[in-house]
Amino acid sequence: MSTIFDNKVENAWCPGCGNFGIQNAMKRAFSELNLEPRNVVLVSGIGQAAKAPHYVNTNVFNGLHGRAVPVAFAIKTVNPALTVIAESGDGCMYGEGGNHLLHNIRRNPDITVMVHNNQVYGLTKGQSSPTSEEGFVTKTQPSGNISRPFNPLSFAISQDASFVARAFSGDIDGLVRLLKEAIRWKGFSLIDILQPCVSFNKVNTYAWYRKRIEYLDEAHDPENRLQAFERSLEWGERILLGIFYRKKRPVYQERVKENLGVEDLLYRGFESENILQGELPRFR
Amino acid sequence: MQKILMKGNDAVAEAAVQAGCNLYFGYPITPQTEISEYLSRRLPDTGGVFLQAESEIGAIYMVYGAAAAGKRVMTSSSGPGFSLKQEGISYLCSAELPCVLVNISRGGPGLGNIQPSQADYFQAVKGGGHGDYRVLVLAPCSVQELVDLTYLAFYLADKYRNPVEILGDGMLGQMMEPVVFRNPDYPDISKEEWVITGKKTRERRIILCFALDPKELEKLNLHLAEKYAEMERSEVLYEVYGSEQPELLLVGYGTVGRILKSVVREAEKQGIRLALVRPVTLYPFPKEILRGQARKAGKALVVEMNLGQMVEDVKLSVEGDVPVYFHGRSGGMIPTVEEIMHRVEEILLKGGEARENNL
Ligand SMILES: Cc1ncc(C[n+]2csc(CCOP(=O)(O)OP(=O)(O)O)c2C)c(N)n1
Ligand code: SF4
Ligand SMILES: [Mg+2]
Repeated sequence: MSTIFDNKVENAWCPGCGNFGIQNAMKRAFSELNLEPRNVVLVSGIGQAAKAPHYVNTNVFNGLHGRAVPVAFAIKTVNPALTVIAESGDGCMYGEGGNHLLHNIRRNPDITVMVHNNQVYGLTKGQSSPTSEEGFVTKTQPSGNISRPFNPLSFAISQDASFVARAFSGDIDGLVRLLKEAIRWKGFSLIDILQPCVSFNKVNTYAWYRKRIEYLDEAHDPENRLQAFERSLEWGERILLGIFYRKKRPVYQERVKENLGVEDLLYRGFESENILQGELPRFR
Repeated sequence: MQKILMKGNDAVAEAAVQAGCNLYFGYPITPQTEISEYLSRRLPDTGGVFLQAESEIGAIYMVYGAAAAGKRVMTSSSGPGFSLKQEGISYLCSAELPCVLVNISRGGPGLGNIQPSQADYFQAVKGGGHGDYRVLVLAPCSVQELVDLTYLAFYLADKYRNPVEILGDGMLGQMMEPVVFRNPDYPDISKEEWVITGKKTRERRIILCFALDPKELEKLNLHLAEKYAEMERSEVLYEVYGSEQPELLLVGYGTVGRILKSVVREAEKQGIRLALVRPVTLYPFPKEILRGQARKAGKALVVEMNLGQMVEDVKLSVEGDVPVYFHGRSGGMIPTVEEIMHRVEEILLKGGEARENNL
């Protein structure tokens, strides 16, 4: 299916990489939400995942390893009319940039954070990542990773993040559905996407995930934080997908208005094209 | 002694182990990840610890802790990762903690690219973090020198209780050359006086990186300055190569130093007499020899893989006595013998009219 989000940028991922599923799902989700390329900003860090924005026809900020979230936060703050999505790998978001994740969950800006979680550092050719499992053997962990894997969902739920979901890049329909929910959600949404890395993760493969994934059932109440937390702890024989938790909280923009009585932050000055027209000649 | 063929990154790692370093904290980044890979295999054999940290910032403060505990410790990185360590380096200098830092540098600014570059010269020699401090900076030009300077780096770090940086580039890190491991028994330097190890029989130890009273902080800075002055007196290293009566002096370090040797030989074939000064320590900088050689030649050409950084120190060294020309490539581009020869001819033929820069 072709969409207005297609472009012709040459792709540098390995054939079979789970990132292709994510890329296709993004384009479909954006189209089905009737977003326009000019109003979408994809902000990424550095890594294989972080290349994704180049392959989607939107505005792009591809910047520094670990720093996608604060950049996305500030873009949204300056222009709340934009749909702002931060997107990167597990190393970028949970390792180098882990601190930014924590503090933006607290701030609750209306942005979406997509993590392509392949449980490995792909771009630097296969070292353990914060989500690598114990015992995972790599070139820098030759006798196996000895640290416990980071659990992004439990972490986000424990911090009362506004929206927390998990998806699988091998199920594009499910991913499109969850992405649309995450983007539509007003508040900080974290979507952790299980993404097989066919070159450097020979353990967590498509088949490995397929054998384990199962969508949360009807009985799960995403408004129930304790239940969500409990479900998020499950990882092993069964890996759950879907919306674990969501809770409406005032977003950053609204809190600023409330506290400072400021209407709309910096954006106010740029809102009207007339203002711009009036100012422009001064700078000529 | 046996010569073995080895990649630059692996060679630094092996030399570090032989120098008695059995603690390494790092974070992957191209083009130096092989240092981590090598040590992750090698250090457990020595009873040491290899650790891949959550970030470069985590890694540099693990270095801080291990150094405070008196162990020989190393970290390595490149470009953006090395920038992240700068805060820690300032603290290490202030707390006078010895350690070895390896920067296999790449093209910048920003993410830049992973090609070889000398764009981090200023960061290395001028104190890349905040405050008034210096790091000893060693600039190898071959895999053999990477090894020899790694041994030296650990010794100098202990001797001065100061971080020592090995500034290489992607080309040195990635290339393979025959190398001999000749560990020159540098004297052991006792750390008994200051190290935090916990001992029943003595008072508690405190390692600080601040002094809130300005009089005290100035005292600390003056004490550091004395150390730097001693380094400048005792640790300057360089290589002089080429003609005794040069028409032009070439100056370049690291990878460029190698290229300039080829230029000297090529020029000789064409009847042009060139000499080369290749600084091996970038801090302390070989000022005296540069001034002497530059005066002898009457003019100097500095070549770098950046748009003009060390050239400033060369100008400071010659104190305006002779004109100093510059040729630089950046962004991971490597200057060729041909283009440097072209520049040499231009300077020698057109004399004072030669452009200040090639850009
Ligand atoms: C400050 C800094 N440190 C390290 C790197 C090197 N680096 C680039 S991508 C990456 C990790 C990639 O892993 P992940 O974020 O999981 O993305 P993936 O490639 O797996 O999609 C690292 C360490 C860098 N570019 N900048
Ligand atoms: S290395 Fe892994 S994550 Fe990167 S493109 Fe290849 S398969 Fe995908
Ligand atoms: Mg990854």
